[in-house]
Amino acid sequence: MINARGEFPFDLVIMLGDNMYGSQQPADFVKKFEQPYAPLLSAGVTFQASLGNHDRPENVFYKPFNMNGERYYTFARKNVRFFALDSTRMDPRQVAWIETSLQNAREDWKICYFHHPLYSNASRHGSSVDLRVLLEPIFVKHGVNVVLSGHDHVYERLKPQKGIFYFVSGSAGQLRKGNLRPTDQTDAYFDQDQSFMLLEISGTELHFQAISRAGKTVDSGVIRAVGAGR
Amino acid sequence: MTNESGRHAADHGAGSTSRRRRLRQRVRTTVPRLSRFAVEHLLLLPLGALIALVWVNTAPESYYRFSFATSFAVNDVAMMLFFALMTKEVVEATAPGGVLHPWRRAMLPVVASIGATAVPAFIFVRLVDVLDEPILSFGWPVSLATDLALSCFVARLIFWPHPMIPFLLLLGIASDALGFLTLAFFNPMREVHLASGALILAGALGIAAGLRRWRVRSFWPYLLGAGSVSWFGLFRSGLHPALALVPIMPFLPHAARDPGFFVDALPDARDTLSQFEIWWRYPAQVALFFFGLVNAGVPLGALEEGTLGLPIAVIVGKPLGLLVGAGLALLGGLHLPHRVGWRELIVGGLIAAMGFSVGLFFCGALLPPGQLRAEMSMGVLLSLAGAPLAIVSARLLRVGRFRTRPGE
Repeated sequence: MINARGEFPFDLVIMLGDNMYGSQQPADFVKKFEQPYAPLLSAGVTFQASLGNHDRPENVFYKPFNMNGERYYTFARKNVRFFALDSTRMDPRQVAWIETSLQNAREDWKICYFHHPLYSNASRHGSSVDLRVLLEPIFVKHGVNVVLSGHDHVYERLKPQKGIFYFVSGSAGQLRKGNLRPTDQTDAYFDQDQSFMLLEISGTELHFQAISRAGKTVDSGVIRAVGAGR
Repeated sequence: MTNESGRHAADHGAGSTSRRRRLRQRVRTTVPRLSRFAVEHLLLLPLGALIALVWVNTAPESYYRFSFATSFAVNDVAMMLFFALMTKEVVEATAPGGVLHPWRRAMLPVVASIGATAVPAFIFVRLVDVLDEPILSFGWPVSLATDLALSCFVARLIFWPHPMIPFLLLLGIASDALGFLTLAFFNPMREVHLASGALILAGALGIAAGLRRWRVRSFWPYLLGAGSVSWFGLFRSGLHPALALVPIMPFLPHAARDPGFFVDALPDARDTLSQFEIWWRYPAQVALFFFGLVNAGVPLGALEEGTLGLPIAVIVGKPLGLLVGAGLALLGGLHLPHRVGWRELIVGGLIAAMGFSVGLFFCGALLPPGQLRAEMSMGVLLSLAGAPLAIVSARLLRVGRFRTRPGE
């Protein structure tokens, strides 16, 4: 990531949950987050986290995660509105908030990110179909463009589902090698090494790149926003 | 000739009726009473749960569409019948001959239930942390649940006849009551309007009290009048409306003596409470079938190590907690029932570990759809291991039917 930033000076990192495993005492935050990401943090990169099923609920108060004590929140960067959701506890209040927030968003891009993937072809977990039945109609209705999720420790780019682009990018921390079973929903995948994604949004184009731990580009492409500002 | 054939026809008709009656009597005496209890009270919920498990893991999208569309009708309305019939058992138990009569009999199991609920809850919260899924700790009230019908069945298999059975039933009632109270205070899913809800509920109780005062014998006004107002009151207050008939049932006139816990009302019973049970006994079983179908669908891919937190916590924690709770009760000057010692308490704790119906209900009431509910629901299903463990431990500890007789 530090190397990639040398060529592409990103200033925002979004985190898809399970940001830490095992003990999560204050000393662990230093050892498992602040030290590994020190070069990015000191360069002023902002981390915006969502939580997963292995995160402690009180991690919403950890300042470097920039969650401001909220399990779910929204923020905008220029013409992009991001929605960080808590997929582990998708209660009716959160669902109502998602609907209202998406409806009020006026940006060209609406990007939702949360831990549990609505579509995934990994063997270990796979799609969270209950959440899909709950959230997909809302996402489609309000013109969400891209959904990013983790939970399955692989990389997968799915073919657009009802006009929405889905990515599973869960192998930045841990990897389940060989776990993905591609189907006709799969457009690209990589499960042989850890990877992370770079995103650059320019006007109505989103350029993405999946980069392996070894620095190799394992997937890339462009997504165009449909119905900007809907 | 005509008279002969007519007499033969009459004799034949009377003979076949008598033969049918003798056959029914033979079936009733041959088929063990416990098996009939199992068939009439216990089969439909597991059947619904099994179908749900297969359905969600083979065609998840259709399962969830069905489940989400029907969950309100099943969980918030139909389950009123189940809880009404459970309350009926408790109400009758307060009558002479019942396990809650006099009320002082309940004191020991109530005190013991404090240990039997606190210890598994504590173990659960610590264990899910160790299993690296601390978020599951939100489900801790599920560890308080005990399935009364299932516990009654297994207890009778092991202990019949024995003072441990009413002790266990009282323990289960107290534990479930504590669980419902925690749901009321720790339920994060609904908007709460306590004041207006309490007002409406008070109105419902007033209607029920009036019906009782006017000696209304039919259960319909209690159900449709007081019951529906109670439902709106609970719904408005943010508490679970499936409990709407629980405060109403005590107002229904009942028999002077308790026929026995989970003993079905006789067809000719005339009191209002028995008539309610006769009418709604089988619809309640159908409601339980759909309850299992709607709530027990757990996708196996959602499960992680934290799933084991609940079954381990209740299987270890309930016997341990019961010993602790009984110890507290003894320190307070109460006495264990005759023939109940530490061995019986261990076996009883394993029986009480089975949450099943009440556990699944707590999961649905407390947790939104997603991984938390899936893992906790599977944990509830795994807690059924309490039954075989109870039987094996009863054998090893020589408890109940397995007790060594003098001279053996």
